[in-house]
Amino acid sequence: MFQSIVVIAEHAEGQVRPITYELAGFARTLQKEMPSSDIKIIVTGERIDSVAEIIARKTGLGVFSITVPGLAGYHAEVYKNILTDVLTDWRPSHVCAAHSTQGMDFAPGLAARLGAACVTGIEAIVKQDEKLCFRRAVSGGKIMADVFADSPMILLAVQPGCFAPAPADAAAPGPVKQLRMESAPEQSFSRGIIRKIMHASAVTEADVIVAAGRGIGDKQYLDLIYRLAALFPESAVGGSRIVCDQGWLDYAQQIGVTGCTVAPDLYIACGISGAIQHVSGMRGSGFVVSINKDSKAAVFNVSDVCIVEDLTTFIPILIEIHEKRCAAKLQ
Amino acid sequence: MNRFDGFALEEALRVREEIPDTCIDVVSVGPERVEAVLRRSLGMGADHGVHIFTEFDGYLDPFTTAAWIAAYARSRDYDLILTGVMSGDDMNGQVGPLVAEMLHLPCATSVIFRRMMSESGRIYVEREMEGGLRDVLEIKLPALLTLQSGINQPRYPSLSKMLRANKHPLDVIPSVSLESPSIHLAVMQTTLPKKMRAGRILEGTPQEKACQLLDILQRHLIPI
Repeated sequence: MFQSIVVIAEHAEGQVRPITYELAGFARTLQKEMPSSDIKIIVTGERIDSVAEIIARKTGLGVFSITVPGLAGYHAEVYKNILTDVLTDWRPSHVCAAHSTQGMDFAPGLAARLGAACVTGIEAIVKQDEKLCFRRAVSGGKIMADVFADSPMILLAVQPGCFAPAPADAAAPGPVKQLRMESAPEQSFSRGIIRKIMHASAVTEADVIVAAGRGIGDKQYLDLIYRLAALFPESAVGGSRIVCDQGWLDYAQQIGVTGCTVAPDLYIACGISGAIQHVSGMRGSGFVVSINKDSKAAVFNVSDVCIVEDLTTFIPILIEIHEKRCAAKLQ
Repeated sequence: MNRFDGFALEEALRVREEIPDTCIDVVSVGPERVEAVLRRSLGMGADHGVHIFTEFDGYLDPFTTAAWIAAYARSRDYDLILTGVMSGDDMNGQVGPLVAEMLHLPCATSVIFRRMMSESGRIYVEREMEGGLRDVLEIKLPALLTLQSGINQPRYPSLSKMLRANKHPLDVIPSVSLESPSIHLAVMQTTLPKKMRAGRILEGTPQEKACQLLDILQRHLIPI
């Protein structure tokens, strides 16, 4: 049976988001599992000619550029309307979108409209008993689940940072087909994008980051995190979302998908569980040390050195031994 | 209670403080243990608890959960439905948007701020996006929002309300009385995540581990 794969490109303000190329890479991997299938990329928006051309050139895949007058940026209602029309007509077997705040805003609803299944947070493609399954993290990344969807059409929301972008050396640019459609929102109205005031954060420039997670347990232990950071020159204190939500750290110190993306020489994760939302903001770090009393914490899978200890007792010991060594050196 | 749902309930309680004749139903799908979550919701201040009961205690896929909630909510004509952005265990992020679509309601996900616009019958929302940006929308009610953590600080249940909650009858709706979807997801296998780095586990006493760590950092030429 002939099957087809559709990729929904993600772009903003005339820029193609990197996840779009990762989706093309994901689609190519998927294609290998399904002989005789083709891949189409959909780009939609108001002024998207250059975005469509860049994607076609970089991926070598066919791009359908759907111009919608008035669609200045992402809009859930319009996206769902346009994509429902096109995909009802095409009936692809797989539709790939980003597991991003954009993709996750429209993918499940679009699936419901199309009578399709939807699998989110995909990190790998695997086969179980000859069935094509999608691997996704559950329970804060402690467990991976291989999910099978028994449906002729499946929407797939792919986790950013998990698939290599489609090779940039595409021999020839893919064809771009221009379409024009009309859809105006009736129930929800965009009022633009605002930037939440964020000071240029110290975490993006530090050589060493000591990061606090939910495992610190109480605000009083933040002091330990700052004392540990103070051992290193050019260091900064960061944290996971939950610590910022508690008001213990400023949102400018948040590391992860919705916060800062960092790549220091050394990253010390203290009481951080290691959910993908946090990991994707720090996986470029040079060397990663994790301190967590839960030996099964997912953060240990992305660490060079793992210390299974209660940070409230371990950090004071670490600081004390370091100070003793420094004192011995001076004598 | 799922951590993200705590934010949804707290936000509902705040809407009721702004618009006093608001009535808050808390709806949850699952086996017997769901009752404790509903009692806690009443303890926080919800008006009614609705238990969509199933004996099944395994993996319930988001389509099934959403279909049952939508089937119940269809007859209730809610003005506003709030959910957490996802569940802490399955992490699908699907039930909210699926319920919205099944009820033909507009939907905004990852909401980090909201304000009722009582004159226009709309709700103002800010959706959290990557990199510190927010997507601003005005949405006609009725609508469904999924709430991001940090939108508020959920209150603790009060003792007097908890005592009352324990006597308060819950509405129990057998899930078999509700329509189930034809689409299903199945978990074929679960595994432990792969190690992406060396993951060397330090052994010994805390003191020994601290010495080893300092040595390792020195070997990696990290100034300390």
